[in-house]
Amino acid sequence: MPICSMFLFSLEHINAQCLTITVLATFNNQGLIMNDTVYPLSDNHRIKFESFKFYMTNVVLENNNQPVWIEDNSYHLVDFDDLDSNQLCIEIPDDLVFNAIKFTLGIDSATNASGVKGGDLDPSKGMYWTWQSGYINFKLEGTSNLCNNPKNQFEFHLGGYIPPYNNAQQVNLSVANPNKFKIIFKLDKFVNALNLSEVNHIMSPNQFAVDHARSAARCFEITND
Amino acid sequence: MPVRLPGVLKSRMIKFSLSAIAFLFCAFVVGDELFYRLASWPKPSYNFKENELTKAKTMLGRVLFYDPILSADSNISCSSCHSPYNAFSHVDHALSHGIHDSIGIRNAPVLINLAWQKTFMWDGAINNLDVQSLAPISHPAEMGSNISQVVKKLNRQKLYKKLFFDAYKDSIATGEHTLKAIAQFLITIVSYNSKYDKVMHQQAQFSPQEQNGYKIFKKKCAACHTEPLFTNGDFVNNGIGVDTLLNDLGRMRVTQRKEDAYKFKVPTLRNIEYSYPYMHDGRFKKLGEVLNHYSNGIKQSETLSGKLKSGLTLSANEKVDLMAFLLTLSDKQFLFDANFAYPKEFLSKQ
Repeated sequence: MPICSMFLFSLEHINAQCLTITVLATFNNQGLIMNDTVYPLSDNHRIKFESFKFYMTNVVLENNNQPVWIEDNSYHLVDFDDLDSNQLCIEIPDDLVFNAIKFTLGIDSATNASGVKGGDLDPSKGMYWTWQSGYINFKLEGTSNLCNNPKNQFEFHLGGYIPPYNNAQQVNLSVANPNKFKIIFKLDKFVNALNLSEVNHIMSPNQFAVDHARSAARCFEITND
Repeated sequence: MPVRLPGVLKSRMIKFSLSAIAFLFCAFVVGDELFYRLASWPKPSYNFKENELTKAKTMLGRVLFYDPILSADSNISCSSCHSPYNAFSHVDHALSHGIHDSIGIRNAPVLINLAWQKTFMWDGAINNLDVQSLAPISHPAEMGSNISQVVKKLNRQKLYKKLFFDAYKDSIATGEHTLKAIAQFLITIVSYNSKYDKVMHQQAQFSPQEQNGYKIFKKKCAACHTEPLFTNGDFVNNGIGVDTLLNDLGRMRVTQRKEDAYKFKVPTLRNIEYSYPYMHDGRFKKLGEVLNHYSNGIKQSETLSGKLKSGLTLSANEKVDLMAFLLTLSDKQFLFDANFAYPKEFLSKQ
């Protein structure tokens, strides 16, 4: 439940069934710092991040490939500018045994086509396109001297729900220790797969957006640290 | 020999028969006090279950519609480009203008009978009326703002605390509630009271000229401008040719399919008398120019509608009759309906 993250601390104490999953973004194995930090790339190139957020939805916990818990009304906006939002609270039964977590990176087609929603899906969260309908599943913005445009900006707004450019991606991760794990997004892996000098603006549903969403889905890992 | 009645009696009889007609016509109207329509019409496409109409929500939506608070500089409201007296379109402007006198690339479409529309905008880029108003709020040449900014501004106003509480039992404005309330008001804007409607329900008669116009209409226009809503909701290249300065690809912008190039939504013809200028870029000022286009002006191109390949054969007399019919789609009651008007009681004019 999206609203849970706001009351995380109280829930941790009063509700023993809240499984708290921390979602972190890292760059070269260090926790991502937005806005000020300049990260080095190869050949004297540099990169800086100003906005990074994505939707994790339809969370399912599995044990030996069998679903053991399907989260109801499962929409989480993870925004790395809002540290509360990267603590997901999943309400699960006591003593649930699971060894994998599955989720969708992005918003499913049915939700995209059914009008305006509240909570994490409220369009005021900045993750809804305005010139056409549909959610932005994954948003990454910043600057890099690799981007050959006046302000060296890059903007990746990945989304789209109409075939053949259905953008939402399935992510499946094994969980070795269900009592202590975090989900990390390796942003350096995503950036290294980009071709920033050629493609630095994706703002509509198209094949580029699908390719980049697939690449993003491969950047999730589980850590037990 | 006809009996001559004294003037007073005559006018009383006229009044009586007019009210009798109005009463009889009411029998064909269905709906509650918020959403009237004719019983003979198709089922609306709008999902009322997801956003149930209430008086308080509709009123909130109406106030938002007329309040320039939605724009970045608080100067432009929805009604700036969708004026009720022009069937909720932009009077006299080919291309609608918004914040800081910016000019957009399209003519503001009419807002009529939206509950029956499946897609919105000239290119159908919007899939649900509940999210429609995000587009003008955010467009840099329209209101130049964004919904989170709007919500912040609304939450600073006492007026909206009350209106949001009345509507949603929560005085705090959210993006969801703001957008849904605007959609509620838009849903109620229904035009069903034209002479055409009365003729269809045997409450009035076409003149011979209008009758002939209707015959021509059914033969040559109704395939796209289908009764009773006077649109089939389709996207069509109607052969007006591309304005090379605007180079508007229309539906292709949304689907990215070449076969959709230069196609635009078939607009309703209801209240066409008031919604000039015409076409997605407002290039025709008068209805006569539109008819001349269909008879002599069709420009050939790959995606041109098959129905228009050789234009529509219309003689000068046929055009006059057709025009007479089109004017029967005017609905004065709709234009001056107090329920759609500027909510003076909430917004005081600056």
